[in-house]
Amino acid sequence: MISRRALELATAILTGSFGVAVVVQSLDNGIGWSSAGVDAGTFPFLTGIIIVAGSLYNLVRGVVPVATLANVPIAITSIELRRLAGLFVPAAIFVAAIPLLGMYIASVAYIFAVLAIPRHQSVLRSAVTATATALALYVVFERMFQVSLPHGALAAALGF
Amino acid sequence: MENLQELFHGFTIAVTVPHLALMAVGVLLGILVGVLPGLGAPNGVSLLLPLTFGMQPVSAIILLSSMYWGALFGGSVTSILFNIPGEPSSVATTFDGYPMARDGRPTTALATAFGSAAFGALVGVILITFLASWVAQVALAFGPAEYFAVYFLAFASFVGMGGAAPIKTVVALAIGFAIAAIGIDTVSGSVRLTMGIDELVKGMNFVVAVMGLFGIGELLVAVEEEFHARAVSSKIEWREVFRAVGRLPRHSVALLRSAAIGCWMGITPGGPTAASFMSYGIARRFSRGGRYFGTGEVEGIISPETADHAAGTSALLPMLSLGIPGSATAAVMMGGLMIWGLNPGPMLFVDQKDFVWGLIASMYVGNIVAVALVLLTVPVFAALMRIPFVIIAPLIVIICVVGAYSVSNSYLDVVMMLGFGIVGYLFKRLFYPLAPLVLAIVIGDKAEDAFRQSMLMSKGSLGIFFANKLVTCLVVGGIALLLLPLVLQLARLWRKPASPAAETPSQEKVII
Repeated sequence: MISRRALELATAILTGSFGVAVVVQSLDNGIGWSSAGVDAGTFPFLTGIIIVAGSLYNLVRGVVPVATLANVPIAITSIELRRLAGLFVPAAIFVAAIPLLGMYIASVAYIFAVLAIPRHQSVLRSAVTATATALALYVVFERMFQVSLPHGALAAALGF
Repeated sequence: MENLQELFHGFTIAVTVPHLALMAVGVLLGILVGVLPGLGAPNGVSLLLPLTFGMQPVSAIILLSSMYWGALFGGSVTSILFNIPGEPSSVATTFDGYPMARDGRPTTALATAFGSAAFGALVGVILITFLASWVAQVALAFGPAEYFAVYFLAFASFVGMGGAAPIKTVVALAIGFAIAAIGIDTVSGSVRLTMGIDELVKGMNFVVAVMGLFGIGELLVAVEEEFHARAVSSKIEWREVFRAVGRLPRHSVALLRSAAIGCWMGITPGGPTAASFMSYGIARRFSRGGRYFGTGEVEGIISPETADHAAGTSALLPMLSLGIPGSATAAVMMGGLMIWGLNPGPMLFVDQKDFVWGLIASMYVGNIVAVALVLLTVPVFAALMRIPFVIIAPLIVIICVVGAYSVSNSYLDVVMMLGFGIVGYLFKRLFYPLAPLVLAIVIGDKAEDAFRQSMLMSKGSLGIFFANKLVTCLVVGGIALLLLPLVLQLARLWRKPASPAAETPSQEKVII
């Protein structure tokens, strides 16, 4: 269970740290005015400052309980969190597996896993859906539009 | 009258067999992404973008814009039949559309929605026909300072009129600017904000961001709620279609008012979502049947739908004539224009007449094609909604992954896309607006260049932004819009000192 306040805080900290990173990086490019006009770092520096300031404001608004926030104390319930994880974790594993397995094998495994393991579909139907997806990807991208999707280290090792 | 001649010439380009076929394909794909939760117009258009690189620009823009019209219509179908908005901009349509359909009048609800949507789109296109070239002519005289002032005005209007918490909008905009600055700086050639990752030298592609923010982010929001698609009958009775459309002129006041709101919100980048909510809210206050809104009132469908489509179409006006997109989808299309080697802005009307007028003519034809196709295919797409979400969700994830990869064959883009997905989810849940973020990513560079060029011209003095009447008006207008939320808040405090936290929670829903 995650409260709205915690979510607001986390997001404000996320945006704020991005802002700090932008400010620090843009200092390398130089800020202010030089013989060539406005220095390259100036504009990013200003946006970074705005991000940091705005995030601080949102942070404070997130901590201090205001009427609107009190209306929705809980942003994500534990059931919702489980559903979110159920979608995101397999997706992240899928993306992580692409360099090794390649797009096609990874997507077959991904579809099969999310359909068959929680028993949403029978093993046979999951397998059919998974294979059909990979085939459709191959036909559309590799054949029709000549876009080569990553084949993966495994395929390279096997000589494809 | 010159415009009409040009428009006629445009029709000779748009009404050819290949282009009509492209329109049909675009509209059908658009309805598909509009119907599916998790896929919307912005990422639908960006998915299609890499496939248009080999096409003529005018064919490509006809395909993409038709997809946009299709998506706008598709979003209304699910709103009315399933009470699930397929697009953020059709949320307001669920308020009265679904109750009417549930009462056994799905055809009436759909026909009313499509009829008023077509009217809204028509008003938007007529506005573009007569206004766009004039705006472009004025803009031809713009220097960098004027351009920066127009950009500033556009960004400020998001803050002042977007409907989200102003500071959250400012943060979203600024993050977009920072992302736009990543990579090689076009003016000085130095490398900026790569965070130590060498691959980022090429910059961050907006398609990757759109895929994550709108694709994965929306999917995460959708999975959390777990849809129960309890559909009402999706059979279309044709006689009722014509009867419902025939009844529309009785609501001409609502139609005209909503179209005006839509056009205004489309041109000043408020976007279709804000337009439909605003129009619904105003209709509830002023319409004769306002008390019955929410129970299936006809004007409760007309108002958001007309405004939604009027805003969607007129969002292309500033994109074509100034190079400032009026909505997230228009921003993606503008990114496409730049990839095809066109320079969005007033010069289009001089150099690329075929492109501009072909597009404008295709908007007339495309919307007719869209109305016909959406009516014909309602049962098909309604059946699609019965496929369980657990099957659709991983397929959409794969589509987003492949889409992000195919932009520049980079695995890093895929990882970034997933990261943007988390950001998109957080932003959506906490009512940070996404449209200004995308807009800033697409035109951040141009705004920065305009600023730096004007600084070069004035040798570092900000006085150039007050040098003549036009630029002063634009800048002052922008500042006024920026301060508008603050003024409103103060006014509210002044009126009601007892309840200081009277921030309207209803406004928050607008941005979902």
